[in-house]
Amino acid sequence: MKTFTLFLLAVTSAILCLSTASHAEDAYQLETIPFPEGVPPEVGALGFNPSGELVVALRRSDVLMAKPTADPKKFEWRLFASGLHNACGMHIVSDREVIISQMPELTRIVDTDGDGTGDLYESINASWGMSGNYHETNHLTPDGKGGYYLAIGTASHNGPVFYNVRGTYSKTGRRGRNYSAASWKGWVLHVDPEGRMTPFCKGFRMHNGIMQDRDGNLWAGDNQGDWRATTPFYHLQKDHFYGHPSSLVWDPKWDPARDPLKMPIEEINEMRTPAAVLLPHDIMNRSASEPIQIPDDAFGPYGGQILLPDNNGKRISRLMLEKVDGQFQGACTHFWNDNGLNLGNNRVAFSPDKTTLYVGQTSRGWGALAEGVQRITRTDAEVFDVLTMTLTKIGFRLEFTTPIPDSALIAATYEMQRYRYEDGPTYGGDKLDVTSIPVDKVSRVDERTIDLEITELKNGGHVYELNIGIEKLRSQVYCYTLNRLKVK
Amino acid sequence: MHPFAKNAYCALFLRAFATVMKVTTYLALALLAFSATGSLLANDRFITLNNEPLGTLEKPLILRTYLPDPGLGREVIANHDLGYRARKYSPGKGDVEGFDDPIRGIPAAIGVNFGASFSYCWDTTECRLLFAWQGGFLKMENYWGKPESGRRKSKGYIPELAGPLIYLAQGSHPLAVFDDFVETNTPVFKGYRIVDQIPEFEYTQGKANVRVCIIPGKEPMTFVKHYAISGVEEIDYEESGYQQKVKNTDPLTFSVTVNGRLQTTSGASELAPDYSTEEPNLEWGEALYTQLGCLACHSTDGTRGHGPSFAGTFDSMRKITGLDELVLVDEPYLIESITNPMAKVVEGFPPGYMPPYPIPDEQIKSLVLFLKTLKNE
Repeated sequence: MKTFTLFLLAVTSAILCLSTASHAEDAYQLETIPFPEGVPPEVGALGFNPSGELVVALRRSDVLMAKPTADPKKFEWRLFASGLHNACGMHIVSDREVIISQMPELTRIVDTDGDGTGDLYESINASWGMSGNYHETNHLTPDGKGGYYLAIGTASHNGPVFYNVRGTYSKTGRRGRNYSAASWKGWVLHVDPEGRMTPFCKGFRMHNGIMQDRDGNLWAGDNQGDWRATTPFYHLQKDHFYGHPSSLVWDPKWDPARDPLKMPIEEINEMRTPAAVLLPHDIMNRSASEPIQIPDDAFGPYGGQILLPDNNGKRISRLMLEKVDGQFQGACTHFWNDNGLNLGNNRVAFSPDKTTLYVGQTSRGWGALAEGVQRITRTDAEVFDVLTMTLTKIGFRLEFTTPIPDSALIAATYEMQRYRYEDGPTYGGDKLDVTSIPVDKVSRVDERTIDLEITELKNGGHVYELNIGIEKLRSQVYCYTLNRLKVK
Repeated sequence: MHPFAKNAYCALFLRAFATVMKVTTYLALALLAFSATGSLLANDRFITLNNEPLGTLEKPLILRTYLPDPGLGREVIANHDLGYRARKYSPGKGDVEGFDDPIRGIPAAIGVNFGASFSYCWDTTECRLLFAWQGGFLKMENYWGKPESGRRKSKGYIPELAGPLIYLAQGSHPLAVFDDFVETNTPVFKGYRIVDQIPEFEYTQGKANVRVCIIPGKEPMTFVKHYAISGVEEIDYEESGYQQKVKNTDPLTFSVTVNGRLQTTSGASELAPDYSTEEPNLEWGEALYTQLGCLACHSTDGTRGHGPSFAGTFDSMRKITGLDELVLVDEPYLIESITNPMAKVVEGFPPGYMPPYPIPDEQIKSLVLFLKTLKNE
């Protein structure tokens, strides 16, 4: 028995060793970066400073820095700042100045005397409420003009509020599964360079990640749950409403006597802006976190597309967006699925040379323990993948990263399903009206591009899930969210 | 030297302690590294899985986190809104039977710890000192979860104070500023600066700009608040035992020494029986062991903590730092160790770690009765 136990131990440690080693696939390599002994790498935010140091804000208190080394185990960590309450978002201004959205405050940390550690912690803005609930985390993105957009998450019914609340308490907002008991929970706020706040848009559950792309479009994902049948990705526009009703209690135009949870579902659907992309819960992404736009060239062929990590899965989704009839919509697929990646993917940053994506993980308080920093580096090998899935008037167009193999021209290579989701007060939602959709015809457009013809296209948020049976394709599943049909 | 530490005794005090602590910091950190909760996980540079981090007099630990509300009056937390009991809610059924009650916490405060002898809670919403305590800093397990547990999640949510309160704010803000002869009430937190390792908070109230830093005082359970105020012509400062009215001084600086005393309003002692009129007794001693925070450093089972274990202490012979002869742990020794811990420091433990406990005789005698019962295991 003892021998058998030892044998099991040996096998287990062998497996563990394998799982912590670097993972190579042809085009990308994944490595795990250890932290100093005893320091839990619960990553609230991460980024790079102009000197090329990786800056990691941990959720307990500290902001650590280290110059990346080729050997992932050789990082020499030093302390830049400490004492922060659950750092959630970060913008690095210079080697001596870092902006952090911690749970209670947007804070400017400055190393004024140049000794390598921050000594000034200036409050830029703290206009949102604090109910005391553990779930009220946030995220930031710079507006490019010296100000910031802040995504302020709601509270969870798994935790209480305090008797002492910062900001205003709303009894109506307190109701529901994920609730908005304190000021501006479930909103995106704008803070100008002088620190003044204006509300921007509303209707979010847990928009744990907001970004502005290089064209100035503002984006945020949200997490599957109440009023989120599956994980959505939204194009954010001023004054729009995105479907989670609790936040409405903070709208100055809202009738305070009205309970948003008693709104008819039709009214909510009428008011809300739909997701540009829906990410099916089971196969794609369970809890969207920080989106990031892929740089051109150095990280492979996907320049300009958006990566969306899964905080509740070993996955990073890749989004292919296009404008149809004046509005953004598009497809999602896996950029990374399992293959050594941890759970809890929360924050992402590209290295200064753009060849490497750093991924920070945490799940403290949510689900199984997952934490750490990993990095995914582009190798020299060719990427064989579908670059884009776009809508045509009669079906979908697939552009590959390489000349297409013969099998790509056979209709039997493709399996397609169509389904839809309905948001509601219950947690998550099933796929509805699941229908198998035959691919009628495949035609070559050019050496890398094909068109799939299907009989009937339905708009209104239907998801078209395409499975591609081509060997060695990096990702074989693609989901297009069809809000609007292509008319021109 | 900290710019606020202008008066001589503060400067001397800080310098003296800095020297003592320089020698003892490493010892203390080494001890921490092997303490029961931290095991090998502690680290002298970063916050770790150790759920009871500590600062030192030389380098206080600043930690913004949820903090407990140990019984603050509404007039103290006047700028907070009040959370209410809510009907339990089921996403499937809507309102259901039962209620969810709020819990007693401060959502946006800052905790500062100077080692075992002094910690305080400064709030960014009220812009004032809310309470101070001794006997360690915070037990973070409620918020950070158990290091060994898979989810690192706890349902307690609010960290606990490691030791007893020595100060609890009462009444409205001690500092009233007058802005064109109108009293201005709502303070706005501007942030803090770390000057010689000590945090200096800054806030505005109307046209007034207020900077304040708080450091431990010369005597046990005392602390000093240093103020620097500019931008207004008139202030009115009133705190128990201290009053100041000033006009036409800009900038205005002054220091207030607050004499703390052990409070009985902390969560644990609220529920405890009232022993105040009783003769010394064993049960009271056992309760005091918890209420006064002795347990933070002294185990009762032989486990090594920040201080010597109480197990088998009574009637034993002790090696004392600086003395050649062993010393008998008898009643006078224990009384001296409670009221003047620096008099005899057990070899292998850092000096200056334990604050004196100037508690009533009946309490000391009760503690001694309790200590006598603790045998070696």
